[in-house]
Amino acid sequence: MSGPAPKQSRFGAHSIPAAAGIGLRAEHYRDLLARRPEVGFLEVHSENYFGDGGAPLHYLEQARAHYPLSLHGVGLSLGSSDPLNRSHVTKLKRLIDRFEPALVSDHLCWCSVGGVFLNDLLPLPYTEEALAHFVAHVAQAQDLLGRQLLIENPSSYLTYRHSTIPEPEFLDEVVRRSGCALLLDVNNVYVSSRNHGWDATAYIDALPARAIKEIHLAGYTVNTSPEGEMLIDSHSARVHEPVWKLYRYTVARLARRPTLIEWDTDLPALEVLVEEARLADVIMEEHDAVGDWNEARGARQGGCDGAFAA
Amino acid sequence: MALSLRDTQQRFVDAILHEQIDPAGIIADGRFAAARHLQVYRNNVFESLTAALRAVYPAIERLVGDGFFRYASHEYAVRHPPTGGNLHDFGNCFAGFLKEFPPALPHEYLTDVASLEWAWHEAFHAADEAPLDPASLADVPPAQYPVLRFHLHPSARLIVSRFPVAAIWEANIASHADTPEINLDNGADRLLVIRRGLSVEVERLSAGEFALIEALARNEVFGVACEAALTRDPEFNLSRCLQEHVRRETLCGFSL
Repeated sequence: MSGPAPKQSRFGAHSIPAAAGIGLRAEHYRDLLARRPEVGFLEVHSENYFGDGGAPLHYLEQARAHYPLSLHGVGLSLGSSDPLNRSHVTKLKRLIDRFEPALVSDHLCWCSVGGVFLNDLLPLPYTEEALAHFVAHVAQAQDLLGRQLLIENPSSYLTYRHSTIPEPEFLDEVVRRSGCALLLDVNNVYVSSRNHGWDATAYIDALPARAIKEIHLAGYTVNTSPEGEMLIDSHSARVHEPVWKLYRYTVARLARRPTLIEWDTDLPALEVLVEEARLADVIMEEHDAVGDWNEARGARQGGCDGAFAA
Repeated sequence: MALSLRDTQQRFVDAILHEQIDPAGIIADGRFAAARHLQVYRNNVFESLTAALRAVYPAIERLVGDGFFRYASHEYAVRHPPTGGNLHDFGNCFAGFLKEFPPALPHEYLTDVASLEWAWHEAFHAADEAPLDPASLADVPPAQYPVLRFHLHPSARLIVSRFPVAAIWEANIASHADTPEINLDNGADRLLVIRRGLSVEVERLSAGEFALIEALARNEVFGVACEAALTRDPEFNLSRCLQEHVRRETLCGFSL
């Protein structure tokens, strides 16, 4: 059920290395293709390539020739109480068949009800009913797509009165029941934690580590009012220091994972994304070095507990 | 018994789009009052939908200004919210909406500019298709020309306006700050919007040329299309026009 390995692939690189990659946006197509920066992989929003032809697919085709790819969706609306949108799934399948991504993801959220679609990652009530419903949609989508999905933890700005299950526990159950993997957005964990007063490291500790196959990093903005600050997951800035700190904690717990720098608004030069990706790589390299050192020490002492724990 | 998922989502959408429901009914007070927590989503939804419209309608935005555009986008999103997760389809009724939108009524040309921008957007995402190979026509006996059905490139869209809509559009997507004076009575436009290679072009057509292409777009046989063109313009040079559109790859094939 995991990543496909088609017999007659048009592309060389399939699997995504446990290294840093960048989100590819239209403004950077030409620069990326001209300079081909050294990043581990590219990720695009699946829905931006739902058109039938033209420039977006043309440039993605060229970029895919040089980089492994991750398809990140914002519109499957897996948490909707409407039936799964088959035409959306069909379009996603068409894209998967053409571009052979190593990872395909969407969010723990809903976007639509009664056929009205709000183009936002809306929060679910964490109830047994919503859990059963979400699991069924993930399983159905995985069946239709013929592959495993990664589900991302959302940034959230509210909680429901009738929620009964903590978010990481809900995600853990989704993984257990549907067989999906997780995309851990460290910035989202930080944003939600600040907005709700959660403990960010406890949240990460509560997730099933082995199911986490990708990490997202991004910048947030702070919305200030007389009552206090709300953090907004705006993807409009460099990764903030507390999020880097939480990322270090995450890497120490999980070891290397494909890590994406996401940037969607107030897009900077491509170079800035590449620099941010380099910072993530450095954190992973530091982790490797500590691991090597622990291993070496373990070998010298004849012990076997070389694992680096947070 | 807890509120069902369906009811939760329906109330949430009503709260966002129609501001109908007291959010305290379903949303918990947290670090802030429930209403402020919900307001973040209301802002995000309208910001993202406005941004989607802004990306498709840059000339309209420049023509009406930021405040008007935001207001129009908000009203449009409430009345015609997206119906699927493919946002490329959002904004398809914006021209018709502007036609009925009271603040836009004094500016009739806005509707036509919006139609042009939607055509541009559709052409941008339309399917790729190989051009007509002129050699393939050589096998067709001339007697059959009148019953040929030529296929236009999938991106081809036609726009008619009683305003100089292409000039208005061109002036308002340009990056420079000053906009030339355009006399609204200064001519009507017949336009072909089409993707050539990767770039979408807006081309002015003569009356005969427009009649020909418009008939082909309706899937009329070539004989009928020629008649339409010649009725519109008795001097129309058919063979030159046809050659030109084969050369420019407006035509992508034919069927008999």
